[in-house]
Amino acid sequence: MNWLEFKNIFGDSELVGDKIVIKSNLNRTIEFIKKNYHFDFLKEILAVDKMDEGIELIYRLYSIDNEEEVLVSITVIDDAESVSNIFDSAVADEKEIYDLFGINFVGNKELKRLYMPESWEGHPLKKNYVEKDERLSWNE
Amino acid sequence: MSKLKINLGPQHPSTHGVLRLILELEGEKILSCEPDVGYLHRGMEKIAEKLSYIQYLPMVDRMDYLAGFFYSELLCRTVEKAHNVELSARVRAIRVMLLELNRIASHLLWIGAFLMDLGATSPFFYAFREREQILQYFEKISGQRMMNNYFVFGGVRRDVFDLEDVESILNLLPQKVKDYERIITENPIFLQRTKGKGVLTPQVAINNGITGVNLRASGVDLDLRLKDNLYCGFYVQPVVLNGKDAWSRYKARILEIIESVSIAKQALEYLKKDEDLEQNLINPLSLKLPKGEYYSEIEAPRGIASIYVNSDGGLSPYRLKWRTGSYYAVNLLRKLLVGTYLNDAIAIAGSLDIILPEVDK
Repeated sequence: MNWLEFKNIFGDSELVGDKIVIKSNLNRTIEFIKKNYHFDFLKEILAVDKMDEGIELIYRLYSIDNEEEVLVSITVIDDAESVSNIFDSAVADEKEIYDLFGINFVGNKELKRLYMPESWEGHPLKKNYVEKDERLSWNE
Repeated sequence: MSKLKINLGPQHPSTHGVLRLILELEGEKILSCEPDVGYLHRGMEKIAEKLSYIQYLPMVDRMDYLAGFFYSELLCRTVEKAHNVELSARVRAIRVMLLELNRIASHLLWIGAFLMDLGATSPFFYAFREREQILQYFEKISGQRMMNNYFVFGGVRRDVFDLEDVESILNLLPQKVKDYERIITENPIFLQRTKGKGVLTPQVAINNGITGVNLRASGVDLDLRLKDNLYCGFYVQPVVLNGKDAWSRYKARILEIIESVSIAKQALEYLKKDEDLEQNLINPLSLKLPKGEYYSEIEAPRGIASIYVNSDGGLSPYRLKWRTGSYYAVNLLRKLLVGTYLNDAIAIAGSLDIILPEVDK
């Protein structure tokens, strides 16, 4: 993909290593990359708890025609824009991240507990999960 | 006609594990489908954050108990990549041979189970008869039939032996597969139940994250083995079919068994040279990954499997994430089953080759 052209349109984006780090306009960025550079396949969405900085979401987009991969990263606190209107597979990924990290994807109507029971409190993959949860105090 | 809500599963025999599908029916027509997963959730990703890499290695076989070698390979590959360890040609050949044997065993089980879902009992026994020979070879070399824990960081646990067993399996398989084809492929009942059922167009498949055989049976040529360093030097010819339906996915798996036999044979030819096993083993006790992010992926029997490791330089990963093919296939059922009839639901869900431990992590 053409990085300079991309940088012209999305001014607040930066290239860190092999990742495109953006600060806002997640939905528009992903849509732009899909439409203009034929990244038609979303491999997965990753979430990493960065503690005080928030939660980093990494979108792995792949172009089947050009055999190319691009990583888009955004750091969010509680809410993020959903990309489920662009990729159907994002519904599944966002559901999982909602369950395990508690990120509320605005625009995804299917958000609910996936692995954990409906009544479960807390989000297990967050780094502060065990300190907070009394049920797991035996584990300390 | 009034609407009816039923549960298919979690203990339904044709859901291959514990998948619960909440179906809304009007007569026999499915109006909506909501998969409910999580019955097998073991917290594989959370556990990884507490264990060292060598402690975690035996666990990853359980990600997908039918294709454990692939997940071991992913974790080993990540560690090897981080430490810039090159595998010797013999280790690579051993790994390729075992991975392909594992793929064959996985597809054989699928054929048996799928036909069982459709009401045919005998193919199950035939497929298991051949699969048993592969598992017995695994047991011989690793001591385990399914959770092999045979790959280690930088090599394999020990050299392979009794290669004539593998040779006889690989020579036997093509003719056995021909036998399966004779009783299954053109069987009129089988054709009626699968031909034109569960049509998955390439656009829908790609948009839903479907990979592996399911995608290739829809006419998209995406096989990671072609670009994989491990398979470098092996001749791989991906199976791409254009049928898009459940029958096509069956046929693609049959053809892929033949393809895997040919790859495994290439590896076997190399292993017969009887070189010494050269390994670049990494000491697992003080194993740390340099700070950074690592991605690895492989073409597993059920689609692209990938691992992401975020290391802060410590003894255990800061964050580890798996991508598995079946998770997206389960999610696809929400779309694929709508508008079909209840008796086709089993055939369609079965044809996607969903395995639940992989979904639930």
